[in-house]
Amino acid sequence: MSIIYILPMAASLIGALLCLARIEKFEEIISVIMSVSTIIFSIVILFLPDVSDAFLFLDGISKIMILTISIVYTMTVIFSTTFLKYIDEPLFQKRFYYLLLNLFAFSMFFSVSVNNLGLVWVGIEATTVTSALLVAVENDESSIEATWRYIIIVSSGLVISFISNVLIYAATDTLDISKLLTMNAFSALLPLGGMMAIIGYGTKAGIFPMHTWLPDVHGKAPAPVSAIFSGVLLPVALYAIIRVIQFTPVAYVKTFALVLGFLTVIIAASLMAVQTNYKRLFAYSTMENMGMALIGISLGGYALIGVFVLIISHAFAKSSTFFLSGNLLSRYKTLKIDDVKGVAKRMPSTAYTLLFDAMAITGMPPFGTFFGEIMIILVLLSVLNIGWTLLLVGFLALAFISMNFKVGKMIFSDSEGEKMDRKRIGTLVPIIDTVFSVAVIFFIPFISKVIK
Amino acid sequence: MKDFFMLIGFSEVLLVIFMQWEVYVTKIVKTFSIGSYIISIFLFYLSFVQHSYLVLILAILTAAIRGFFIPTFILRRLSKDPRRERESKPAMGTAFSIIISLVIAIFAYVLYDVTMLNFVGVLSGAIPVALIFQGAFLIISRKNAFIQLIGYMVMENAAFLFTGYLFPDLPFSVEAGTVLDLIGVVMISGIIMRMRESTPKKSDDFDELRG
Repeated sequence: MSIIYILPMAASLIGALLCLARIEKFEEIISVIMSVSTIIFSIVILFLPDVSDAFLFLDGISKIMILTISIVYTMTVIFSTTFLKYIDEPLFQKRFYYLLLNLFAFSMFFSVSVNNLGLVWVGIEATTVTSALLVAVENDESSIEATWRYIIIVSSGLVISFISNVLIYAATDTLDISKLLTMNAFSALLPLGGMMAIIGYGTKAGIFPMHTWLPDVHGKAPAPVSAIFSGVLLPVALYAIIRVIQFTPVAYVKTFALVLGFLTVIIAASLMAVQTNYKRLFAYSTMENMGMALIGISLGGYALIGVFVLIISHAFAKSSTFFLSGNLLSRYKTLKIDDVKGVAKRMPSTAYTLLFDAMAITGMPPFGTFFGEIMIILVLLSVLNIGWTLLLVGFLALAFISMNFKVGKMIFSDSEGEKMDRKRIGTLVPIIDTVFSVAVIFFIPFISKVIK
Repeated sequence: MKDFFMLIGFSEVLLVIFMQWEVYVTKIVKTFSIGSYIISIFLFYLSFVQHSYLVLILAILTAAIRGFFIPTFILRRLSKDPRRERESKPAMGTAFSIIISLVIAIFAYVLYDVTMLNFVGVLSGAIPVALIFQGAFLIISRKNAFIQLIGYMVMENAAFLFTGYLFPDLPFSVEAGTVLDLIGVVMISGIIMRMRESTPKKSDDFDELRG
């Protein structure tokens, strides 16, 4: 086992342990250093050969996931250094926040790096354990209730995926991802295991009908936590589904995923239209994007490249959106869309970045999400008749209008208040994320090459 | 072996039905503990039949963590908050919940028969499936967070039983990882449940969780 491949995991774990030291500001400094180092390691890993041994399995898909996690993780850590002071009565000391954040990143790196589907499950369940208390940082009743719903719904869903692992093992005699991907013969239990995996991991990915925890948690978690949840936690759960669909060459399993993805987009887009809370609006937008990604996963081939373009671009744009929601909340002290007015006048940097982000997360050109969705839709057209495709596009349009109308209303409405933009880091980090979201389009050929 | 599994499985089903009509949380926790010990006895037996030291380790882990540590942890939490010891207003009446439990057991059997029986080839595999649904029903039918947590762990125990009997060769690292994760979930849940009780309640707070 080459040591370089485990460095992102090691860095985040070491970062977590060092956060226990009682030195002023040390937890912030060490978390920034360690998270930046994970970006460096993940870039190096991207250019190294694929690896498959007893513990690790890193192909192009894993490498891209690791890079995306490391960037969003770093941005989250940097943004947290300026955001945490706006939480009046945090649940615990700052060093515990960073300890959990680093452990959370570790569990995500672990989930996408290991060569055993059972250990992928362990890693994804560990993300629940490490992230639950982060949701409740604001320490009020609704955030605690949201945390409880998160634990109980997601853990119950993961019991289903545990059983799916058992069935997959029963069908194939192995849980090694590398072996599963090269397997030709399997028993009829495999499709059943595959469908249960889609439901189980889909719970964590916010897929209908097990999505109900998602808007509560994204709506109530502190901005940086919502950002990392939306940006990379949900795609990590989708990663498990990608693997399962890759080694389950059964048409009806893929159709099952396609139907769930379709329903997820429809439900999320419909609910976006009636939202009055901007964080919940962004949460449903995440759900809509995960639904699109699931459709792409079910289609495979060229659509899978679209899925990764979508996931990467969405990760940057949505984390930026949630960072900006933190800026809005810390200044306006409300989550209601109607009560946030004149952002363009009062917080110009936040306003214009948010405007671009709203376009990015709803798939407008030139953002990567647009190209990702187009790739998925083109493949969908070759599989389904045009009526179904138009229906899907119609709901994507509904999501687009709902999001941009509501965000536009917050930004361009009149307000007589004073100018109140946040500190430089609080506005700079979302801008960088937004730029990344556009820059993804220049890497589409590279992403395609790595995934193939 | 098959008879022993049937005995264990039916005991588990009976214990869960007892949980459905019980309103005292401490008794439900103790019942869960008994259920976990019964599963560990089954795993002990399995380890001797199969001469597998890994299954033996799993049996010890089950007894220590699911049977002893987790119930003790929850009971200690409960002792600090006697108000939570009895669920005053369950979401549905006792008689109704028992009827639904029986319907769930029949549904689970039919579902298993239609989907898995042909491939697994063991009729008694329907028992863990029924237990999973019973656990889910315990979560849905109760408002008390401790009972919901027990419901989740009943689902976990059922999955464990399913694996232990039907697919005992599953890699040990996976099953051990499951146990470790369970500890984490219970610890975090314990903290959240304490916070739920101690946080000041504001009537407009839950408006933020609508829609």
